[in-house]
Formats: sequence, C-alpha cells, structure tokens
Amino acid sequence: MVVVQRKELTLAERLYLPEVLRGLSLTFRKFFEKPITRQYPEQPLPTDEVTRGQPRLVVKDDGNIACVSCGMCEVACPAYAITIDGGETDRGIEREPKRFEIDMLRCILCGFCEEACPKDAIFMSNELELADFTRAGLVYDLEKLKRPKSALQERIDYVYRLNNRWRSKQ
Amino acid sequence: MTKIQINGREVEADPKQPLIRACHDQGVDVPMYCYHPGLAPVGSCRICQVEVAGAPGQPSRVVAACRTPVSEGMVVSTDTPKAHDTRRECLEFLLKNHPLDCPICDKAGECDLQDYAFNEGQGKGRSSEPRRKLEKRKSLGDVIVLDEERCILCSRCVRFFTDVTKKAQLTVEGLGSHSVINTYMDKPLEGNYQGNLADICPVGALTSKKFRFQARVWNLSKTLSTCGECSRGCSISVESLRAKQVKRIRPRYNAAVNQWWMCDTGRHALAPLTRALAPEGEVLGGRLRTAAVRGYNGLECSDDVAALDLAADMLASHPGTLVIVSPFATQEEAKAALALAQALKATPQFVSPAPNALKDDLLHTGDPCPNRRGLLELGFGALAPADALAALAVAPSAVLAGERVLELLGHAGLALLPKKLRLVAFDVEASDLASLDIAFPVPTHVEKSGHWINVDGRVGVLNVALPPPALVRRLDLQLAALTAKLSAVPQGS
Repeated sequence: MVVVQRKELTLAERLYLPEVLRGLSLTFRKFFEKPITRQYPEQPLPTDEVTRGQPRLVVKDDGNIACVSCGMCEVACPAYAITIDGGETDRGIEREPKRFEIDMLRCILCGFCEEACPKDAIFMSNELELADFTRAGLVYDLEKLKRPKSALQERIDYVYRLNNRWRSKQ
Repeated sequence: MTKIQINGREVEADPKQPLIRACHDQGVDVPMYCYHPGLAPVGSCRICQVEVAGAPGQPSRVVAACRTPVSEGMVVSTDTPKAHDTRRECLEFLLKNHPLDCPICDKAGECDLQDYAFNEGQGKGRSSEPRRKLEKRKSLGDVIVLDEERCILCSRCVRFFTDVTKKAQLTVEGLGSHSVINTYMDKPLEGNYQGNLADICPVGALTSKKFRFQARVWNLSKTLSTCGECSRGCSISVESLRAKQVKRIRPRYNAAVNQWWMCDTGRHALAPLTRALAPEGEVLGGRLRTAAVRGYNGLECSDDVAALDLAADMLASHPGTLVIVSPFATQEEAKAALALAQALKATPQFVSPAPNALKDDLLHTGDPCPNRRGLLELGFGALAPADALAALAVAPSAVLAGERVLELLGHAGLALLPKKLRLVAFDVEASDLASLDIAFPVPTHVEKSGHWINVDGRVGVLNVALPPPALVRRLDLQLAALTAKLSAVPQGS
C-alpha cells in the first residue's frame, strides 16, 4: 500500500490570490511570445522532397502524359487502389491511359507505384489533404491526377538521387 | 518407343517426334521460339539447344532440340553449364535488336522472350550500337498488326500459312540484318485464320488489332469454354477483365477438335457477349434485365414468379403449343425443354438456320448451330426459320427458348405473326413484337455452364466466365419451373 503524504500548504498558498496572480502572469507572458501552434488550413505543414503525399501523374513538357498504362503500378499497389484502362494513341509511344483512377480512400501512400513505374510517370507529390462530401469524389481520375513535371520536379530529383546512390553500391 | 536419358533420368520417347517434345513430355523445360508443336521445325532461333553426350571418347555436342530426332541411348542434359551458356548467348543475339518495349507491348506477361530473358538473361545489354529502327505499326490486313522491331524472325507465322492453312501469304523479306516479315507484294492478309498469328508469335511482333492495348494479360481471368460460332465447337479460353467484359477469346489445345487453332469468326464473336443491358426499368434497347409481360403499353418489366404463373396459365388455356429452342441450347437446357414439351404434349424442335458461306477445310463447318448433334440425339426436330415462322403463324401458342432464338428466327418474320398467337420467349434480348406476350431473360453462353455436342459427337464444356446480370436465372431452371407450374394447372382450363 502506498501512502501519499499530502504537502502542507503555506500561508501564501492558502490565501489563494497570490497563486492566481502567479498563474495569470504566466498566461500574460505567453501572449507576447511566439506561438507554438499552427493555424492549420491557412498555414499548412511544411513539406519537402521526402514527403510522401498522394501519387500524381507526370505531364511531360510537351503536354503529353508520361504514363503508357503498362499496369506496373496497378500490380504493385498493395491496397488495390489503382485501376487502369489503356488505349491506342497516335503518338510514337503507341499506348496511353484512357482511364486512370486512384481510389484515394484506399491509397495508403506507400510509394510502391512510384517505385514500380518504368516510365517515371507517377510520383508521390507533396499534396496530403483529402476531403470531399462523397466517396465517389475521392476516386481521382486522370484529370485530377495530372500534374506538370515542374510541380513534381523536387521529388523526381530526390528519387533519382536515391536510386543512384543505391545503384552505385551494387 | 526409344529409350533415352534426359537429365540423368531414363525415359521413353516417341522416335517420330523431335527431342524437344520428349523433353517437354517429361516436364523438362526447354525454351522455344521458332518451334511450335503444330508447325514443321526449322531450327532458326537456336534457343532450344541442349547438350547431347558424344560417342565414347568424343566430346559432347550442343544441338537444337527441335531439329534433332530422338535416337536410342541418347544422353541429353538441359541443365549443364554448357547448354545454359549456349542458350544465353543465343538469347543475347535475339535481344540485340529487340526493343525494350515491354511496358507498351501487348505480349508482356505471356511472352516467351520476356520470360526467358527474365530467368536467364543479363540485366544489361553489352552492345553499344543502336538497335534496328523499323516500322512499329505495319498493318497486315484487318486483323493483325506487325511491329517489325520486335520481330525475332522465328518464322512461325510464315510456317503457319504454309503448314496449316496451306496457302502461303507471309515471307521473310531481305537479307541478314535487313530481314523483315512481309506479305507477298505488300498485299493484306486474307482468310479466316489470321488471328492465330497473334497467338503463335512468341514475342509481341504480331498483335491483334481488336485486342490491341485493351488489357494487360495478367489482369484477364481465363475460363475454359467452347466456341459457339459453328458446330465444330473449338475449345477456347474466354478471357474477361474484372468479371465485367469478355476481352478476348483464344483457342486452347484440343488434339481431337481444333488442335491449337481457331477461326477469326469465333475469335471475334464478342459482340453478342458484350451487349449492354437495357436501361433500368425498360424492356427494349438492350439485354433483357427482368421478366417482361405485355400490358396496355406494350411489354413491361415484371416480377419473374408472377410472369411464370401467367405464362403457365396462358399456355394451359391455349393447348397445341409449339416448343422451339435455340441451337445454342445446352444439353441441360434441351433436357428441360424436352420435359416442358412433354408437359405441353408438343414435339420439341430447334431453329436450324441455313449453313453459311464460312465453311472451309480446316475447322469451320459452316453450320451455325453449335449443339445440332446433341439436340438431334435428344430427339429434337430441326426446323428452318421459314418453316418455324409458318408453323408459328397457325399455332395457338408457342414457347421460344434459348439464347438468340428470336434473332435466329428473324425479327422481320416474327413481326408479321398474328396478334392472337400467345408467345412466351426466353431470350437474351426482347423484341417489340405484337405477338410477344411474356419474355424471360436468359444468360449468354459465357454466363452459364453446360455441354454442347459437336459435329463429331465430342462433348464441349461451357463454364461460367462472367456472372450473369442480377435477375437473370439459368434457362434450364426457368423451364423446369414452368413445367412444374404447368403440371399444377389443370390442362385445357
């Protein structure tokens, strides 16, 4: 059995008011200090190249999508979040996605799709926010997934740097 | 039989077959590109090389297993370093000009070259010269498109036309590294067997125009089934994507029926299998979703139990019913129709359209009834569409049962039938006929299991490749339910 000895209060403490003032002084001091909280939606968290946000598709500088709908990300996806239907295109690459859907509610942001892609067409962006009024709205289609290459450049450079370091060890 | 030794195992081999067949029969994997069991061996790709021990005191030799006959006492090893090295060198030469197209190529996933390169190949090419630049999309007729860069010049396609269809259409044009596959005089390919080229091509050089980029092959679920385009009943594999749509039909090996081949008519007969459903709550404009009963405003969707009661009452009060089934009816459905015909005291008959012009010497019989033999053996009478319509015109009531039965009778002819005819139809699609009173939906032949009997009396098995639409029940069960209801209703009441 543990006996907790209650500390005897001093006279000042028993008078109550000095302690209230002491507490308030701390409150007022903090008013003038730098806040440690964040105004979240207005001030988002800082992200950098290591941030593994939602996957996005690269649109090359010539305006065409880099994806050839090979289905590697679809196979690699452990959450079965990706659905692709390919089709023929007149471009030299011959094949492009006609339908590319990522169910963001299923996506676990693991980055396997980025790793599996043989065409550098899918990268983890720094976009992390996910909210909608319907589930269907969170199944992102081609138009919602496309991003210009410049928007993903930081991540692309990071992945290349990482892969090169891994390769040199072989 | 000849006794030989494969990888240290004493086995018996057929002396008429090449060594590669003996290896494959024993489950020993020997890669092959130019060799195909249905075609004459030429030994052009050299990937099937194996080591054969020489005479005593002689060194062992590496031979192409597809061109080497089996001889008594042969000692064959497929797994020795010498055999592996030789094959790996051949592979390197084959890959020298083969583009790194796998993410785009339709063959990826079922490509012999990809599989073997993955197992045995090097991670990197050693060649610094650029690859051959050739035509990537060369159309060879309506069915096949050729990618010259991917071609490894195995000449299987050339031999398919010389050995199987016996009408040479393709050739290897040019010499050395300028060789390409081409048709004679750049003419498009002809015939009803072009689709087989996409199957036998060991790489993705010849691909099907219809299937091009439609799906990745590892996403397709394959169901063993039987083709319904003619009475040959070729063994096929129905390949569907996400249990929603049949994407491709391919032949599967059946020594007694179709070997490795099938005709393009059967291969491309996807339209009847991919028909869209009628809009919700409607009867016409697509596949029938539910039972439909004629009301004041034409056919209206109905509950199937109520419709079945109505049909039983209607048929019982109009005796002299004709029972006509579709030639697509399986044996199981035919048996159910037979019981129904007995209950109605009718002679069972089936629609037998005239032979079409697609008949050839290879597979197609020209007869569009896949189960003619089975139906005849069960005692059904063959009825030409014109005769069927004439009989329907004077009948008090009729039951038409089976996939596409209305289509085969001819919508134009059916529209002329008198309104007083009481007609119950079981079909995939209803038709806006004045005489059609009650219609029930049925599954297509890729949505049900059953058996057909082909022209030679061989049984072809149907399996469920796609789930039928929600309220569509098996035809044999529906007919049995109708028979049961009829026997509960007093006849002639």
